[in-house]
Amino acid sequence: MLRRSHTATIEQNESYTENFDTEPYECGWASEATWFVRVINLAEGTSMKFIPQISPDGLFWCDKEGTEPVHISEETLYACELNNFGSWLRLRCVLDGNNPRIKLMVHLALKE
Amino acid sequence: MSNSLYADPRLSKYNPLKRILFFDDFDEGVNGWCTLIGNYNDSLDDIKPMFRDLRPAQLSNCTFFDIGTHGSVSGEYALKLATRPRPNHSCVLIKRMTFAKRSLVQLETYFTYKAEAVFDDKLKGSLPFDGNYHPSEAMFGDFTLGNDINEGPDGKRYFCSLRYVNTDPEGNYVRKWFYKTSVQVTTKMQIDGAPIPKDLHAQSPDDWKEVPGGDFALCHNEVPTKINWHYLRWQFDLETRRNVELQINDRVMDLRDIPVPAYEETYYSCDRLLNFFFDVRTHLPVRNFLFFDSVLVSVDW
Repeated sequence: MLRRSHTATIEQNESYTENFDTEPYECGWASEATWFVRVINLAEGTSMKFIPQISPDGLFWCDKEGTEPVHISEETLYACELNNFGSWLRLRCVLDGNNPRIKLMVHLALKE
Repeated sequence: MSNSLYADPRLSKYNPLKRILFFDDFDEGVNGWCTLIGNYNDSLDDIKPMFRDLRPAQLSNCTFFDIGTHGSVSGEYALKLATRPRPNHSCVLIKRMTFAKRSLVQLETYFTYKAEAVFDDKLKGSLPFDGNYHPSEAMFGDFTLGNDINEGPDGKRYFCSLRYVNTDPEGNYVRKWFYKTSVQVTTKMQIDGAPIPKDLHAQSPDDWKEVPGGDFALCHNEVPTKINWHYLRWQFDLETRRNVELQINDRVMDLRDIPVPAYEETYYSCDRLLNFFFDVRTHLPVRNFLFFDSVLVSVDW
């Protein structure tokens, strides 16, 4: 049997102007995950950092220990790899700048 | 199908027609149940309202904050649909097939549903917790199952859609099954000038009528973290372009006389289309969930 894999589109061409968390995604079956954040539009002066978070239940969250925040400053693709996580994942996204605005695609690529 | 089904406990809980078209055990993956997305040309910006951000499939072991993991009926995982915590937001998953004969088609599944547990007193319902009744029961909106059938340039396109309304948008209990009386507003209709719908499946939120015999509550089971699986069997007929029956546990609703609206337009590029979808919708800033242990679709071709 080939190893199962699955890519979930977590943010589909969404725009944000303030800090946000991505929706909880349940993936206890996976042993490795890669977050892909593709920046479609980034308003002038805007930057963002994202921090992977984990949860046992989709309700209560903490930052993934040992994983550095990823800093976004241009319209390109960013990635962050995870393993040894609890059953739920999300990104904590922190915007910076005057009148910040970002449009993005977020994919979560999972492997058994 | 006959006694041979009992050789496989995974199948013996179903009553398929003579040919199993697919049996989706969600311990094995999502089996083709993917996010619905509206049509677009160059940019995702072109997707019409209501047909975007319909959320990804999840493989859930049905874990809750208080007891941990429930698991599914058989094995560990269920297909999970989850809305955003935003009023009138839906999660819609679709499985795309084509048909080899205009015949009976039957979908069976074991499903359960919940509103997410919340700890915000502002979101509590009008009735207080009394040890049996729990306010979260009124935080679940509705769910819809249906198909998308297109016979081709020489035939009709139509959707058979059936909706269980737990509460209306004002939060009042309804607890009834409905069928729709107008077509889903397609991208083509909107490009041709149709107004933006407020209901993903019909031209107006009012275009739904009660299914005869569909007035009953499901098994919510008191708190937001206990799930009970329900048997569902839905049969429709590609020859008559009608629903046939909907069964929930022991309750069987005869749908043969219910009209199914068809499109006036002709649709190309989707010849012999046979799609199945599940939809869950919240009326509150509370995530609503729909879970499926497995899905079996059978046909008589």
